[in-house]
Amino acid sequence: MNPRISHLRDYILNKEHHVYRRSLTELGIANMNETFAREGVHPVRRSAESLSAMLKMEKPIILPGEKIVFTRTIDDIPAIYTPEEWDRIKKEHYIHERGTVCNISPDYETTIKLGLDARKNEVEEKLKHLSVEDVEGEIFLESVLICISSLQDLIGRYEVYARSIGEEDTASVLEAIKTRGATSFREALQLLRILHFSIWEASNYHNTLGRFDQYMYPYYKNDIEKGVITSEEAFDLVEEFFLMCNKDSDLYPGMQQGDNGQSMVLGGRDMNGTYLFNELSQMCLQASYELELIDPKINIRVDKDTPDEIFERGSRLTKKGLGFPQYSNDDVVIPGLIRKGYEKEDAYNYVVAACWEFIIPKYGMDIPNIDAISLLGCVRDCLDDLGSCKDYDSFYKCVERKIQAEVDRICIKHKNLYIIPSPMMSLLMAGTIERARDISLGSKYNNYGIHGTGIAPATDSLAAIKKYYFEEKRFDYQTLMMAINTNFENNPQLKELLRKKAPKMGQDDDYVDSICTVLLDSFDKALDGKVNERGGIYRGGTGTAMYYIFHANNLGATPDGRLAGEMIPANYSPSLFINQKGPISVIKSFTKPHLVNVINGGPLTLEFDQSVFNNDESIKKLGMLVKTYIKLGGHQLQLNTVSKEKLLDAKVHPEKYKHLIVRVWGWSGYFVELDECYQDHVINRIEFGL
Amino acid sequence: MEKGIIFSIEEFAIHDGPGIRTNVFLKGCPLRCVWCHNPEGISPYPQYFTKKDERTICGYEITSDDLANQLLKNKEIYKYDKGGVTLTGGEPLFQPMFVIDLLKKIRPEIHTAIETSGYANSDIFQKVISQLDYVLFDIKQTDTVLHKKYTGVGNELILKNLEILCSSDIDFVIRIPLIPGVNDTKENMLNILSRIEGAKFLKRVELLRYHKTAGAKYSMIGKQYNPPFDVNRKPAIYNVFESNHIKTIIL
Repeated sequence: MNPRISHLRDYILNKEHHVYRRSLTELGIANMNETFAREGVHPVRRSAESLSAMLKMEKPIILPGEKIVFTRTIDDIPAIYTPEEWDRIKKEHYIHERGTVCNISPDYETTIKLGLDARKNEVEEKLKHLSVEDVEGEIFLESVLICISSLQDLIGRYEVYARSIGEEDTASVLEAIKTRGATSFREALQLLRILHFSIWEASNYHNTLGRFDQYMYPYYKNDIEKGVITSEEAFDLVEEFFLMCNKDSDLYPGMQQGDNGQSMVLGGRDMNGTYLFNELSQMCLQASYELELIDPKINIRVDKDTPDEIFERGSRLTKKGLGFPQYSNDDVVIPGLIRKGYEKEDAYNYVVAACWEFIIPKYGMDIPNIDAISLLGCVRDCLDDLGSCKDYDSFYKCVERKIQAEVDRICIKHKNLYIIPSPMMSLLMAGTIERARDISLGSKYNNYGIHGTGIAPATDSLAAIKKYYFEEKRFDYQTLMMAINTNFENNPQLKELLRKKAPKMGQDDDYVDSICTVLLDSFDKALDGKVNERGGIYRGGTGTAMYYIFHANNLGATPDGRLAGEMIPANYSPSLFINQKGPISVIKSFTKPHLVNVINGGPLTLEFDQSVFNNDESIKKLGMLVKTYIKLGGHQLQLNTVSKEKLLDAKVHPEKYKHLIVRVWGWSGYFVELDECYQDHVINRIEFGL
Repeated sequence: MEKGIIFSIEEFAIHDGPGIRTNVFLKGCPLRCVWCHNPEGISPYPQYFTKKDERTICGYEITSDDLANQLLKNKEIYKYDKGGVTLTGGEPLFQPMFVIDLLKKIRPEIHTAIETSGYANSDIFQKVISQLDYVLFDIKQTDTVLHKKYTGVGNELILKNLEILCSSDIDFVIRIPLIPGVNDTKENMLNILSRIEGAKFLKRVELLRYHKTAGAKYSMIGKQYNPPFDVNRKPAIYNVFESNHIKTIIL
């Protein structure tokens, strides 16, 4: 890290740029929704005008030493609907999360390449040839033009400001990309920054960065080959761009501070079999290593033939304790996506959404986190039928029926979906201009993803019932139900047996692991043939997002010895009560199921004590472990390094640990800023020491 | 079939030999090192172990067949990870027949290593190492009197076995625990150097710095930890090996 970047990093971490922030009220743009409602403005136009007003009010700011500019100076985003209007919409529609377009992978590439003027021409051209009856189309295209013009206007004001303070180079870059496509690495990064900035400002969120090392590489390569910049200079710019992702991120909405979806995907194999990790991918890992910041969140696409060196580089970053890189396995994910109907070319271009859901850049308007099913809840609900089941198979059939019923119930919920339009985001998605329709209405892929929570505890519960109740007949139905219904208070011995002695997934025991295989196949089968109202399919996954907290809070005691309300593991991870044999057994167990069938994503999470990585050799060996998981057919892997002592101390003395970063469910955040329930969960997760 | 007493099998061992390994801890040790950090490995018999108010039994009997089958289950993984199995303890050579029987069953599919104090009859030592791919050999002290004082036994057998190892064709590592004020002298390091210099199959020297958490497990087996040295002092590091072209790592 050079002194320029280091100073800028301190400046941003000290939040010095927050002094430039102003409120909507101060700027007089807090109540545009009322005007919109009064005048009956079309929703698409409201979005464009709201963004336009914001961009007009943004004040050009250049932080000390900055070469890539654009800083948020407005601390909130105005609503386009009045509360009454929104209530009415909510009554009539299914609303996903905040209601705006989110969690997709925008196509920055096209606009960076062609430039804003060319995009404007494209829209104007379409307008000219639009049929006169297509009023919606006209409003949409005009709205896109408003977005582009407002953006160009702000770029122009930034340019004037840069020149006025003697930042000639920055001014020239801005002048160039105001109208045309990028011709250098710096121009490309600046335009990327502006586009990314503008979708946040347009109230879209979980705005991912996609395959940065692929779409930015041509600019990098060209500059290096032509001698425009040295690789050191290019690296500084990458570091600066990474820093920019942390500049306004406290204003980005999410479940918790840090859950902002700025994920970046590196590497991956193309259809010709070439592994695409390049110098720029390497720079991204290095920048993340040096900066030690939560954004962007790094993902590496790997497969069984990925060189060991990549895993080693990844492990070096893991050691930093940022909770990434996260790995995904092309050998499983690509065939899994194709199986679910994605075109081969698109499947090969997959990225991850905010956390870990696999999505397609440019074309995907999937909602991969629309809902979640509690698999452990399904098992528990079937206990009432256990008494009348003559064997395990008939009990499992009940569970399977329950899963189907739950899936049916969930799928009916998503009717009449409404998403707030975003002409700005539409500009960055393929086909919208051609269709003259907002991206909120859908795209090439409109699939919905359902998380499955409690996979390991559900498996463990089934295994305990199979082994102890049906096979060994250690207890009868009444005994089990009494214990479950009294939260094991009447029978602590049974709790101990189920909790500590019973076989658990993660011990490389085929008896239990094969139950999980069947369970996940049932989940996939239950979703088979389901079509949502947008014509998309449903995909099951092994992730949990925050549902693992919701589902556990509301669930009574379970046959894995878990007490009512007690936590369940996040994502695809072993029970919190498991008698650990070690990470090898865990990865063996967790790679047995047919993961290609649960392609919505959701990683196995392994936690390591920091002491594990005390030298280069151990880092190399961690890389080997990751590769083993991939070779065995794992789909996704997250590795965390934490020291329990440090976390406990951080709870007591948060002031000492302002910058301590931990991985939560699919994102990394500052530990001291998390709610206590998430802090406790992180502390209680299983951790491998030596 | 031989039976043995072990007290733990640990996966993802990354500091005890090449690659990712599984460590098997064998119970029983003839030495009484005052700094011992695995005191539950000393007694050859199962014993109570109390952790967080929960009493468990540490140590169990297992047949060489059962253990071999457990280990063979992961033979593919060891190949992926260029690793294998390391027998440690306790002192694995304290149960030589069990060790030899086990090694026969898991070789050559699995790369095998042993971590030993070298305290064993030389015939046994020779027989066991001929069944191994890799040896981690501990040397604490070259001075016989001091060795006896701090470990309870003399070092004659150990030094003799070291000689055998140095002239063998088995890859090996020398491990020296650095105990503050006990063996961390330059003289001791130079004496060790003179005994291992020139050994063709010596891969490297590992200097293991004493860490005060070593005493943590004593109370769990109902013993007291009263080491006759200053646990808070950092051991002196005289790396005389690196300067003599022997690769050295400090852990």
